[in-house]
This record gives sequence, structure tokens and C-alpha cells, in this order.
Amino acid sequence: MSTAGFCVIAFMLTAYVLLDGFDLGVAFVAPLVARDERERGAVMASIGPFWNGNEVWLVAGGAALFALFPRAYASSFSGFYLPFIVLLWLLMFRGMALELRHHFPSRIWQDFWDAAFTLASALLIFIFGIALGNVLHGFPLDANGYFQGTFAYLLNPYALLVGAFALAVLGQHGATFAAMRIEGAPAERARILSRRLWWIEAALFVVVTVTTFGVRGIPSVPVVVVLGFLSTAALAALPAAVRSRSAAAAFAASSAFVAALLASAAAALYPYLLPSIAGTTGGITIFDAAPSPAALSCALAVTILGSIGVGIYGSLVWRRMAGKVRVE
Amino acid sequence: MDTVLADRLQFAFTIMFHYLFPIGTMGLAPFVAWYTWKASDGDAEAARAARFWTKIFTINFAAGVVTGIPMEFQFGTNWANFAERSGSIVGQPLAMEGMFAFFLESIFLGVVLYGARAPSRFTAWSAVAVCAGAWLSGFFIVDTDAWMQYPVGYHIAANGRLELDDVWAVLLSPFAGWQYAHVLTGALIAGGFIVGGIGAYYLLSERGAALARRFVRDGAIVAFVFSSLAIFPTGDRNSADVTQYQPIKLAAMEGLFETARGAPLAIIGMPDTQRDVLIDPIYVPNVLSFLAYGNFTANVKGLKAYAEELRPPVELTYYAYHVMVGLGTIFVAAGALAVLLLWRKRLFTSRPMLWILMLLMPFPYIANEAGWIVTEVGRQPWIVYGVMRTAEAGSPNVAAGETIFTLAGFAGMYFVLGVLFLYLVLREIAEGARA
Repeated sequence: MSTAGFCVIAFMLTAYVLLDGFDLGVAFVAPLVARDERERGAVMASIGPFWNGNEVWLVAGGAALFALFPRAYASSFSGFYLPFIVLLWLLMFRGMALELRHHFPSRIWQDFWDAAFTLASALLIFIFGIALGNVLHGFPLDANGYFQGTFAYLLNPYALLVGAFALAVLGQHGATFAAMRIEGAPAERARILSRRLWWIEAALFVVVTVTTFGVRGIPSVPVVVVLGFLSTAALAALPAAVRSRSAAAAFAASSAFVAALLASAAAALYPYLLPSIAGTTGGITIFDAAPSPAALSCALAVTILGSIGVGIYGSLVWRRMAGKVRVE
Repeated sequence: MDTVLADRLQFAFTIMFHYLFPIGTMGLAPFVAWYTWKASDGDAEAARAARFWTKIFTINFAAGVVTGIPMEFQFGTNWANFAERSGSIVGQPLAMEGMFAFFLESIFLGVVLYGARAPSRFTAWSAVAVCAGAWLSGFFIVDTDAWMQYPVGYHIAANGRLELDDVWAVLLSPFAGWQYAHVLTGALIAGGFIVGGIGAYYLLSERGAALARRFVRDGAIVAFVFSSLAIFPTGDRNSADVTQYQPIKLAAMEGLFETARGAPLAIIGMPDTQRDVLIDPIYVPNVLSFLAYGNFTANVKGLKAYAEELRPPVELTYYAYHVMVGLGTIFVAAGALAVLLLWRKRLFTSRPMLWILMLLMPFPYIANEAGWIVTEVGRQPWIVYGVMRTAEAGSPNVAAGETIFTLAGFAGMYFVLGVLFLYLVLREIAEGARA
């Protein structure tokens, strides 16, 4: 039963990274894709209708964690109090930037908010990467599962490496989305960028994979291995998809890569929600943070029904709003 | 500073600031839906109204989203003990809000904005979906709160955690129904007075007469209907629930210190908690007994009948309640007068009434916030009524200093956000419903 709850959380967070990941990525690469204000306007418009719905996955995922594994929710959010609040501030600031830029036809106003948007988005990607790196690496935890280390501890080299990798992966993800959604020069630049980024991404993928083996040991669980191979295959297919000039295929390859990567990370972590450093005790697993059967079945029903509903009307809306954003 | 006091200040500040925007979205969503629907029938004037209110709605919505993000996570950051013990229950309606309401609202708002130029039936249905999302979102949040007011459908496990038994009992909690109805009427009063007030402003400044008249008419009717409903039945029934489940809160709301048969209703007066008396009161004899129990001689327990440590902060609960009720009465009176003038066909030319409508705009916000102060401050000293105290709900390893730092950060950010919000809304109003 607890395993199903773990899958729900993994699914929601993967959905979040996959979806908000592209708009974070677009924001991060926007300065490289758009050369003037008009093009930047088109880049912003390409994610304008989506970012908010995408971010709901994070909010809903947070609530699902709250409902299913209250102990993990409580100890992780309060344990990493300051970094977490900074993350919230960045998320809020980013929302403000995107919503405010187009309200005022002033060059300085828009330049400011565009820069703020790119910076906040890049920092968010980096911090999410650092967080994932730390989770994979494990924390010094006390007997109640509360973090015992310092702020500086979280910035360890392995976590920073995963942060850099996250920038490459979501930068790529954003570039393939921009190439699919925008017309004209920015799309072409996004395509070229995505080809170049691939080399960095692939190099970091190898380094991160090898160091992760060092940190966590070579995976032996079949699911992790299979998902790892799937992500490698998706990454390998990406350049061909970009070259084929089918923007949708490139975005699909990038999405498959992100999804398989996160799923393999989740499978590797299982059954830990908040692992302690290898060899020490005190990590929080899904069993000691286990939900009651009623809570679990309720949260499962909500997540499954909700996702089906969102899938249905979300695709209806996507279809209605399909078509490319023009530079005007 | 006391750690929990810092946590409470932060929560109070962030939630009260955030709630300013849901008042606007829940109150304006039906107007957006109504005008968009009319516009999809080919009503050109309604199309202009729909565009204007969609813009105002969107600014509100964006500010609501931005300030709503931390709310979902604050239970974990600052209230870890509460989150850990009650998460399996409290987390459920919050997850439902995300999955069932928030997605609906945000995805379909995209369609409404996209189709704003020439609304089709699909755009109109999308506007209805946005409204449904906004109202449903309010329901799940009120439901979460109602459980904290009157916990149901759970058991206490051996490890002290509160475990969910029956989610339907939580969703259909006897406390939630009238509370939600009252919250929603509160937002619709605000919506009515905003639409009517902005229409009045346009009429007074002699701009866009036809559309402005429509705003004044629609706004005045909605404001009158829902301010009446806020008093009866929703307010009355909500108080009945408080009387039944939280009699101490009732005594604090009414400033009743002495237990009395045929208890009087204090219209004004200042509670003195040093001496446990109401200073300079104006009483209406026996009315409190009637309002609480439907009987003029019923026995109502006063604050002195309860142990000191079970009392909520009396002053804040009492004043917030009286501010809310006083403003509610003014809303009904102003709404009734406006509707009377509308019926006599003199509303659009009555400058005093238009002035009143325009100046009333901020007050529903005060009444709504005051209502929440009554509900939440009056719940103290409990975080989960009768089960868990607020004092034991904080995060064990977050110090007051950290919370004060983040509170300062939120304050700074919200100040900037508030200034920009006002600026953008005022600019839209100044540009008017021309475009």
C-alpha cells in the first residue's frame, strides 16, 4: 500500500518537472533564443498560458505528500527551512515577473522583468537539481528524521554537479519546447541551441551517472537498470529527432529522457523518502511515514481521478490553443 | 520572541494578504462568466464588459496564485508538528483543491484570455469552468478549516497521530456547509460592490454611460441579494454551529462575561479582560439568547464559566465580530436603498447613492477579513479544536529568529506586490471599459 503512495508522489513530481520544466527551461534559455523585445515577447507568450497550470503539479504534489507521508512533509519542509523559503520566494518572484512584464509598454520595465524571470528560473532549476542531488546523496538526520547539517552542507560538490546537470537537461527541454511552439528565427535558434546543449547534457549525464554509482553504489534493482537504459536511449535518440526537423519528436525525446531519468532516481531511492547518508540510520522510509489505509485510498483516488480529468480537459484546451506563437 | 507567536504572526500575515485576492476571484468570477456568456450570444456591450472584468480578474488571479504558493507549504515549514500529526486528514482537501479546483481554474482561464476578442460558446463555458474552479477551491479550503474547527472522521493512533477514517465525513462535515455558504456570500458581496462601485465611479465621472449603468445595476442587485443572504440564513446558521460546537467562541464574539438567562446582545462596548467586564456597553435585552437558541430566556454561558486557559483572545475576536456584523448591516441597508432606487428608476441619476456605492468598495474586504479573524482567533488556543493546541503545533527545529527573517522577507515582497497590484488595477480602471 505504501508503495502505491510512493508511486503517486513520484508521478506527481515527475509530472511537475516534465511540465514546469519546459517553462523553466524556456525562461532559462530565453536570452539565447530571442534577440530583441519582440522575439522575447513571443518566447514569453509561448509559455504564458501554461506555466500556471504546470506549477499546480508542484502545489498538488506538495499536498499529496502532506496527505500521504505527513512525517516526511513535516521534517523535510521544516528541516530545510531557509532554503525552502528561498525556493518559495523564487517561485513567487518568477510568477510576478511573467505576469507583470506585459502590463506596461516600457523597454526598461520589460527588460527588468525578463532578466528577473530568466535569473529566477535558472536559480530554481539549479536549486531543484541541488535538492535532488542531496536526496540521492543522503542527509545527516537525527533520530526523528530532522536535518542536522548546515546550509553549507547542502552545497556539496555532488549536489552542485546535479544542479549543473539539471540546468543542462531543462535548458534542453525548454529549447525543444520553444522550437516546437514558436515560429521563425527564435525557433531556429532554439533548434541550434538544443543541438549544442546536447553535447554538454550528454557529457554531464555520463559524469553524473558515474559519480552517482560512486555515491550510491551500482544499481542492481532491475527497475532502476531498465529505466536507466530507457533514459540513455531517449538521450541518444534526441539529436536524430532534432535533425529530423520534427520539433514534436524532439520534444517527445526530451520529455522521455526527463521522465525516465526521474523515474529511475525515484526507483533508486525507494523505499526512502528522505534518506540519511549511506551507512547511517535515521532516514525516513515510506513504511515509518506510512499513511493510514483510508488516507492512502483517498489520496490515490484524488490523484488518479484528478489526473484523468486534467488529462481530458487539458488536452482539449491544448488542442484549441495549438498552433505556433508568431513574433509580432 | 516566542516561537509559536512568530509562526502565528507569519501565518496571519501571509494568509490575510493572500485572502484579499480570492475574495476578488470568487466574487468576480460569476460576473466574468455572465458577461462572457452574454457576449457569446452576440451582445457587443457585454463583450466589452467581459474583456474589462477578465482583465481585472486575471490580475487578481495572478496575485492570488503568487501569494497562494507559500500557503500550501507553510504547514510543513512552520507547523511541522501539526502537519505530522494531522496531515493524513488535512492534506486530503488540500490535495483535492489542487487536483480538482486549481487545475480547472488555471487551465480554463487560459482559454478565456485567449478567446477574449470574440467569445464563442466554448469561451463562455470556459468562463463558467473558471468560476466553478474558484468556488470549488474555496470549498476545499473552508473544508480544511472546518475540520480544524470541528474535527470529524478520524481516530487517534497509538503514536499520537490523527488518522483519517472517513473522508466523506470530513468533506460533508456539519461545520463546513454553512461556513462555506457564508464565505461564498462574503466574496459575492465584495464582487457586487466592486462591480457596482466601479460602475458608479464611471457614472460620476461621466464616462462610458451605457456600460457603467449596467455595472451599477448588476452590482447593486448582487450586493443586495448576497448581503441579505450573509445575515440570513448563512450568517445565522454559521453562528448556530459555533453556538453548538464552540460555545466559548460565541461568548468571546459577543463579549459575554457573565452566564445569563435571557442574555443581552451587546451592540457596542469594549471588553476589559483584566476585570472581565464590557465597558460602556449598549445592550438589547434577551436578544443574544434568542439568536443563539431561538428562545428569549435561554441560558447562555459567559466567559467566566470557562477556565482561563480555554479562552480565545477575547478582544480581537469580539472587535472583529462586531466590525463584520456592523459592516454587514450597512451593506444590507446600502444594497436595499440602491435596489429601491433602481426600481424607482432613479439610481443612475442619484449622485449621493452613486457616491455611497463607490466609497463602499473597500469595506467588503474588511468585513471578509474580519470574519476570518473571528473564525481563526476565536479557535484559539486550539489548532485542532479540543484535540491539539496551537502552542504544541510548531516546527521543533525552526527558531523564532528564522521565522522573523522570513516574515520580513514576505512583508517586503508583499509590499511590492501590493503596490504593483493596485497600480495595475487602477490603470485598468482608468483606461476603462473602452477597448
